[in-house]
Amino acid sequence: MKSLVCLKQVPDTETQIKVNPEGTGIVTEGIKHIINPYDEFSVEEALRLKEKFKEGEVVILAIGPDRATESIRTALAMGADRGIHVNDPAVNTADPFAVAQALAAAAKDVQYDVIFCGHRAIDDDFCEVGAMLAEFLGLPQVTLVTKVEVAADKKSAILERDIEGGKETVEVPLPCVVTSQKGLNEPRYASLPGIMKAKKKPIDAKNAAALGVSVEAKLQSKEYSMPPERKAGKKIEGLEPPDAAKQVVQALRNEAKII
Amino acid sequence: MADFTLDEDQRQIQDMARKFAANELRPIARECDEEAVAPSEVLDKVWELGFCANAIPENYGGYDLGRSALTSAIMVEELAWGDLGLTMAALSPLLMMVPILEFGADEQKEEWLPKFCGERFFPGTAAIMEPRIVFDPLELGTTVETQGENVVISGKKCMVPLADQAEHILVYASPRNGDAPQPVKAVIVDRNTPGLSIGPKEKNLGLNALPLFPVAFDQCVVPASRCVGRDRGIDYMKLLNLSRANLSAMAVGVARASHEYALTYAKERFAFGEPIACRQSIAFMLAEAAMEIDGMRLLAWRAAWRLDRNEDATKDAGLAKMYCAEQAMKVVDYGVQILGGHGYIREHPVEMWFRNGRSFSITEGLAIG
Repeated sequence: MKSLVCLKQVPDTETQIKVNPEGTGIVTEGIKHIINPYDEFSVEEALRLKEKFKEGEVVILAIGPDRATESIRTALAMGADRGIHVNDPAVNTADPFAVAQALAAAAKDVQYDVIFCGHRAIDDDFCEVGAMLAEFLGLPQVTLVTKVEVAADKKSAILERDIEGGKETVEVPLPCVVTSQKGLNEPRYASLPGIMKAKKKPIDAKNAAALGVSVEAKLQSKEYSMPPERKAGKKIEGLEPPDAAKQVVQALRNEAKII
Repeated sequence: MADFTLDEDQRQIQDMARKFAANELRPIARECDEEAVAPSEVLDKVWELGFCANAIPENYGGYDLGRSALTSAIMVEELAWGDLGLTMAALSPLLMMVPILEFGADEQKEEWLPKFCGERFFPGTAAIMEPRIVFDPLELGTTVETQGENVVISGKKCMVPLADQAEHILVYASPRNGDAPQPVKAVIVDRNTPGLSIGPKEKNLGLNALPLFPVAFDQCVVPASRCVGRDRGIDYMKLLNLSRANLSAMAVGVARASHEYALTYAKERFAFGEPIACRQSIAFMLAEAAMEIDGMRLLAWRAAWRLDRNEDATKDAGLAKMYCAEQAMKVVDYGVQILGGHGYIREHPVEMWFRNGRSFSITEGLAIG
């Protein structure tokens, strides 16, 4: 069973995000980066498929600056076989359209039965790359997947996906693009031998020219800003509880206008 | 020149151990403390990280990826941050594995090392500490006497981790042949050897999740071939130093846990219209704890670095252990103090770290890595 896992490096969920003074992005210095949690589910699922079929390959494909190598290595430490690192300033910070274009170009050189993407990246939350990648490659796609059962002949898969208030079970021919949702699995920890062996696994570095893509971004971000700070609350003091309650109700109705 | 940049392996191991500690150890730490248990599922989960098999040569079933005291220090700081007792319980197989790996004769390695490469937790342990008014690891009261093909072990040990599950115990004892002091021996003793008795589980101030037992040896006869390293013996001081470096790093982890908790609390807890972190008496404690934690870590890392260079680390490890034990106690005390009355009640974990932190000044040899 061969899987291609698209992986994005994102700021740690515990990072306190700050917008840079120019408003063109966030401050990335001193920030810890991790594998996008939804992509970690993808890595785990790909490893389980390889283990289940007792053959195959798990290839990690990531776009990003030099530091993205560390996240690829973490996936290799979990057990993936090799990595492809697309590192090109033109693509690294591009919009989902350009990113999906570059991923599709890189995927052309890889053999796979299934492509996994996280259903969204926790940094920019576009939720678009997986779908666009499937379109570029002309593959069927199943989003928000929480369970994967691949048929013994690897020609099709039965997938369970999240829908509002429940689950939907679908059958899809392979190869296809699957976007992973929370609940798909519990990712393993990289073991010490896994970490130490990961250094020796190959990571193929590529740029846009090598992939033969010219990036045409459809989207340009104009400005980044922090959400407005919460205003101080209003205190009603020095009143007996029944009177205070009346004041609160009045304030909610007349000032906050929410009741 | 000194360089504090962690290499890629160390960063990955630190990240992994931090995540593991936060997700697997910290959430159950309180329950394990209250119930005084180290659940076997946790021991298996830590085991799956491969800390034993990683260092064991391939011909004995391991991965032969080497051992580093510094990498170990980095890892155990994170795990001890999650929970000290569970970390010591889970890593106790190293107490038996490392001496055999470092100093065992070939046939001993062949016999014992494959046991540490299995899929399930192998409960190895060692008996080093003794129940005396003043325990000096260099003046062991437990003796080992050669009698023909056998050795005879007599004496009392305490704080033996997992003695209830371990099939074998690595016992440290002083040879008693003639008057001249001789190097300490480490002997692998089966738990059902006649004369060996394991007492009831110890009830201690802290480290409740770590099952510790007293073990007595009354004229236990063991084949001389069970002495690690046979006639060549072991470098006992090196093993003590490895443990001191690791215990120091664990002390950093416990101190950090308490400090981080107290810092968050002090920023959120309002008194007199401002967070208590703004009051000097609190801010000074927080600042001092932060300084001490960094200082402790530097000493722990230097001792580990010296061990990795195969130099005599006795002084560095001794200084680190002494300093880390003392300062950890100061930091965990501040943790309780900063939380005030809340620090003393079990709703908050700082009292648990206070109890666990107190162990460092009395334990020896319990964290070889």
